[in-house]
Amino acid sequence: MKYFGGCDVGSTYTKCVILDENGNIVANVTNRSKINPVQSAEIALDDAVAQVEGLNSAKELTYLIGTGYGRNKVPFADENISEISCHAMGVHVTNPEVKAIIDIGGQDVKGISIDTDGTVKNFAMNDKCAAGTGRFYEAMANAFEMTLPEFSKLSLNAKNTIPITAQCTVFAESEVISLVGEGKPMDEIAAGIQLAVAKRCFVMAKKAGAVDSITLTGGCAKNDGLKKAIEKVLKINVVELKTDPQLMGALGAAEYARQKGLAKVD
Amino acid sequence: MKDLKHLIYFENLLQEANNDLVKQATNDGKLAIAYTCYHIPEVLLNLDNCFSVRLRAPRTGSMDIATYYMSSFLCGYSKALLERGIEGGYNFLSALIGAETCSEMNRTYEHFELLNLVPNDKFFVTFVDSPFKIEQHTVKHYTNQLQVKVLDKLNEVYGVDTSDEALKKAVEEHNEICRLITEIGEYRKEENPRITGYEFHVLCLATYCCPKYLIIDKLRETAEELKTREPDQKKNYRAKIVVVGSEMDDPDFTKLIEDSGALVVADRFCFGSLPGREEIILNDEDDVLTQIALHYMKTSQCPRFMSHEKVQERRDYVKELVDKYNADGVMYEQLKFCEYWGYERALASYVMSGDYGVPTAAVDRQYTASASGQLRTRVQAFVESLEIKKIQKAKEMRENG
Repeated sequence: MKYFGGCDVGSTYTKCVILDENGNIVANVTNRSKINPVQSAEIALDDAVAQVEGLNSAKELTYLIGTGYGRNKVPFADENISEISCHAMGVHVTNPEVKAIIDIGGQDVKGISIDTDGTVKNFAMNDKCAAGTGRFYEAMANAFEMTLPEFSKLSLNAKNTIPITAQCTVFAESEVISLVGEGKPMDEIAAGIQLAVAKRCFVMAKKAGAVDSITLTGGCAKNDGLKKAIEKVLKINVVELKTDPQLMGALGAAEYARQKGLAKVD
Repeated sequence: MKDLKHLIYFENLLQEANNDLVKQATNDGKLAIAYTCYHIPEVLLNLDNCFSVRLRAPRTGSMDIATYYMSSFLCGYSKALLERGIEGGYNFLSALIGAETCSEMNRTYEHFELLNLVPNDKFFVTFVDSPFKIEQHTVKHYTNQLQVKVLDKLNEVYGVDTSDEALKKAVEEHNEICRLITEIGEYRKEENPRITGYEFHVLCLATYCCPKYLIIDKLRETAEELKTREPDQKKNYRAKIVVVGSEMDDPDFTKLIEDSGALVVADRFCFGSLPGREEIILNDEDDVLTQIALHYMKTSQCPRFMSHEKVQERRDYVKELVDKYNADGVMYEQLKFCEYWGYERALASYVMSGDYGVPTAAVDRQYTASASGQLRTRVQAFVESLEIKKIQKAKEMRENG
């Protein structure tokens, strides 16, 4: 059996997926990223390889593709592909019906529309500041002294929403602290934060050309409060993926590796 | 491909505005005349004992001081020039020739005067009013402005010879540079070009920033070397693109694009060769200065010209470049807060893909951080989409026989 790998070295998490010849996921890993992307990739690859019987090293993968901000630092990679293309392909192989993605990564937000073959049709990207990114959520959850799942759950309990006007992570944190100090309900402030991020996602999704449904990828896709806010703002259905949405970049890279690796062998 | 013999030499000349050749020329008693915009005809600054320096601010760090004097919402190029000026980066200048083309750069010119940035009693800043349209009376006005604000001023302050003979001599020197750059640029039309976009960018930029008489020998040698240079058999790129947009004096941006899998085959941006390196053809009948003024007005592709014909001409020109240079797509780049390219990029990037069928991407960038990881992701994703389109097109053609 031949195996194909995709390693997504993100700014916050490093993900790795290994596929067999038939496109089945035989290994997957999600680790917190180290400061050194090479080290992050090595650890994730080793962890993934350990899940596959008969595979001893990443060198034995028939084809390996790196993606994410550290994509050109993945040891033994045959090539690297941008995370935009990889997320599109990852979602396509998971659910070919989905034609648009909002990917909320650690340091940027992207809107991506997908062509019928899983390639990128169009994309828009906000990379100018941390507003609406995973870093933003981490800062907000810290301000609430909560974990991200706790923060998400809290926002879902809100009966009303208190709008957050600041988009800048630093100013938004100050605004949240002021609102808490004024005694405003915590769940309503949390819902306000989700709404602010959903609006940012709206812009990216529209720019990329989302029409009737979208899906969320990246670590923030697990945030149910955000999903609810996006559905409200975009007025379109947010499709849930059957595979962990945080793995979509690595999965797309592995699928590209499978296609290219098989073509190379043939 | 074998490295170009003089590439490192040219690269080093771009490390500082006051590079070795500029120092050599000023030590020889030549006058360094700075400018920032295509609307100032470069040839007028190469008369007699003068040489032109198109201002850049390489290796600019923090722009806090310039931001204090100007604003956070001005283009980085304008602010970087002021910042480097305050740091003493342009102390070698004899004059700065400005044009009423962009209100952001006007603030920079203003601060060069207000803050007395150049410690030279004779240093002056002058300011040419450039028209928005090409009509008989606007050509006359522009010519008059160039006479009064540039030629007369240089003559009055430094005694520069601004006669027709001096103008013709400067045009001759300019034309030789243009012929060499055009000859080198022609190789970019090849199926597998023998020169990269980065190499060309370095060569072309050096011709804007160095005294021409000191750079021409190495440029001639490079043109000669290229005649027999063999490109790598295996192509090192996945798609060819034309880069279009605002001020761009950072070859690392072109390098970033090429490191992401594209080959830049045409440079339609400020400080590029299209336009910028066309010969000026003079006749014996008309006034020399008027002919020079008209040449620059006609060849300018600046979005400052807002008449319908000029807007349409710019789009047609980009399409023409795509066809001539066999490009797969166009990348519009814009310096953040650039007042003209902000509109041009936003509209043209849609029109080029929608009406002309040319795949187009648009990026806005900072002057000082154009080689960021995020930008690399955008460019790479665009290149990947171009590559896929090429593969699909080839597949379709095979299937249709």
